[in-house]
Amino acid sequence: MNFINENAALNGLADYIIKSGVCLYNSVKYIYSLAENEFYSVNIKDALKIILNNVPETDGLRALGLRIDDYTCREMQGEEYNRVLPLMVFSLAVRIPVLKNVKNGEDTMTDDQLYRLYTAVLDKGAENYRDIITETFLETKYLVRKGKKLPPFTADWYKSYIYSSVPALSEITNKNMFLLGFVDVLFAMFYSCAEDGLARKLLEYADEAPERENDE
Amino acid sequence: MEVKTIQFAVRNNNNLFKLELFKTLLHFTEFDFTYFWERCIGAGREAKKSGRLPMSNISNAKSVISGAHPYIEALINDDFSDIVIDCIIEYICHSERIGTEELWVRCISPKNLYEEAIFNRISRYKTGKAVNQWNNVIRLREYAQNKLSFIYDCDEDGGKSVPQGKEVLRTRKDYFDLAYSMAANELGIVGENLPSVRVSSSALTANAAFINAKVSKAIYRRFADALKLGGDLSVPEGKDCTLVKDKFAMDAYSFVRNMKRPGEIDMKFAMEALADSAAEVYFPDSFKAAIDLEFDLIMKNGIEVRKCDSCGRYFAAYDDSFLCERVNSSGMTCRQQFDSLKAAIAEAAGQLQSAEGGGENHEEEEKKPEVIPQELEKRGQKIYNALYKRVGKAMDEKEFREWSRYLSDMKRNIKMGEATVSQLEEFLNYSDRLCAEVKAAVKSKTPQKAEFHYPEESPKEAAAEPNPAESDPEMAHIHVPIREEEVPIEIIKASSGASVEVKPFRPMTFDTAADAFIAGAIADEEKAKRKPVEIKTPQWERLTREEAYGRQDGEST
Repeated sequence: MNFINENAALNGLADYIIKSGVCLYNSVKYIYSLAENEFYSVNIKDALKIILNNVPETDGLRALGLRIDDYTCREMQGEEYNRVLPLMVFSLAVRIPVLKNVKNGEDTMTDDQLYRLYTAVLDKGAENYRDIITETFLETKYLVRKGKKLPPFTADWYKSYIYSSVPALSEITNKNMFLLGFVDVLFAMFYSCAEDGLARKLLEYADEAPERENDE
Repeated sequence: MEVKTIQFAVRNNNNLFKLELFKTLLHFTEFDFTYFWERCIGAGREAKKSGRLPMSNISNAKSVISGAHPYIEALINDDFSDIVIDCIIEYICHSERIGTEELWVRCISPKNLYEEAIFNRISRYKTGKAVNQWNNVIRLREYAQNKLSFIYDCDEDGGKSVPQGKEVLRTRKDYFDLAYSMAANELGIVGENLPSVRVSSSALTANAAFINAKVSKAIYRRFADALKLGGDLSVPEGKDCTLVKDKFAMDAYSFVRNMKRPGEIDMKFAMEALADSAAEVYFPDSFKAAIDLEFDLIMKNGIEVRKCDSCGRYFAAYDDSFLCERVNSSGMTCRQQFDSLKAAIAEAAGQLQSAEGGGENHEEEEKKPEVIPQELEKRGQKIYNALYKRVGKAMDEKEFREWSRYLSDMKRNIKMGEATVSQLEEFLNYSDRLCAEVKAAVKSKTPQKAEFHYPEESPKEAAAEPNPAESDPEMAHIHVPIREEEVPIEIIKASSGASVEVKPFRPMTFDTAADAFIAGAIADEEKAKRKPVEIKTPQWERLTREEAYGRQDGEST
């Protein structure tokens, strides 16, 4: 795909993926905090609407009175849980090859561009800690090239990580059960919106190129 | 009359506020919110253009609405801090006919600070952390108005307002409150979620330590060391502590339980500092609670509230009068206006009496419903049938309907006491003549219609009556309805090509009872001036049959 400044475009897309990962990470925390005191006052449907309409921002959730702090998310304060953020970004990064399906006219991203974007995201901190995520960049690339359907974006890896590495969240409590229930819905819906947002962002960068060429 | 004042406190505020009994309530129920509303709409329009709320307009609007009630003033930077944005939200929803949910979705990805403010505010409604305070104020004003009206509006006894006893008023108030409590109970709204008022001395209010800061500091100095060892006993926000309040209180008291009475100097200082503090401080937990509190205290303090018979506004009465002392548009108070009107009427009555010479009392005849005699009913029906047969021939349908309606109206008026049987008789006489004209027109087999001349147009004597306003210069200022010149009844012949216009029967009308009275008096005066008609006994001469029929002798019958 033609970009006026390819490096800047890839960097911008990498930032978007990172921000999306952070958004997912914060969204989980916000909804988890809902179970503390706001269970009957905040409608989770409203929370999901705000998240999905504002990817990659999560500030809107504060309007519902939700706060991420040491008290409401005390079970998520450990070092082990902090590893979830790079994992979430990585889970999005391995799906970068789906951008091959985004076309600007007949123009699509080359394999080289996709790989450079993937490495840029990894350079910004994405990490497959303890190889929790089984999906790989190459696997996704293969499926896209063959035109096959990608497996759904699930929270399975997140739950297995919680059970294996974050004991405070794997305890059977009302809050934790709530967490393990809503992440399934959140991950699937979130990925759909994040992918659309990323495709729009890509077209924004791509759109600039022909206009500039014409100007010249 | 002395205005009774109470003091109240609100949460998150260390000040005490004054509330003048009844005056505050009256001010709130009559407050004009138009200026505030216009300010808010202006701010909303400006914000839509610029993308941010104009703070100067907002603070201006807030200062306007603060004047509506001291409770709003007390919480203008707390509960009512977003009342302007509430008003804007209400305006948008109302003007675009959308609900708050739709507006919230529109602003879910806010593009500017204005949209973000709307989104945040509606989010707070949705999570039960706020209500639309603008709506709340308007609804509470209506509540206060209804309650005021329910309790203090008078039962009219023969058109005159009668003061009610305290027991009656108290019962009305309790009935009103009970109706609301019953509705809340049936809807499953439990008591602790409903508005309530706490009463305590100023030293036991929630913020007593801050309200009485000077003395509190002196006490703190005595127990500072012990209190430092006590640690933090605060509980997380939202935790229900209803059942452990005594425990908390005794835990706190345990740090000062060995306290002895302070020395004379300290006590004197405390006495001076606490001298001005109110004996009772009320703590309404909502706006409705503040309004209900005022109603309760109005009754408790024996303030007599009445509705002015003249302007319809409520006022605190100090005598038996039902007229208020407020200056109205005439520049006088209702009471002054009534007094001057009374004086003017008395003066006019005096003038009338002097004009009559004898000072006779003309009592207004009471309107009494009469029974229509059967024979008149039959007569009316007969005329009706006769005219009905000829509809479309010498009388068109519209005219017939008009005549028929007039007859039924007349009958109804008689039953209501608005008309008399003699008037009906007069109308039937006229109808007889009309019927004769119609019949004649049909017989002559012409398409021409009869012209209607209604009874009040026909009395020939009336045409000759002089207009008192013309004849007497002193009476020139009195408006007397002048009867139109009478037109004699004429039968329209086939040759007559004049168009027929139907004029409705119009009885004499007067703007006021005084006009009617004056007109009646003048008519009576004229009658009195008129020479009595001499009634001569007829001189009957007996005629023979032949003389009467003009027959010649020998003609057979």
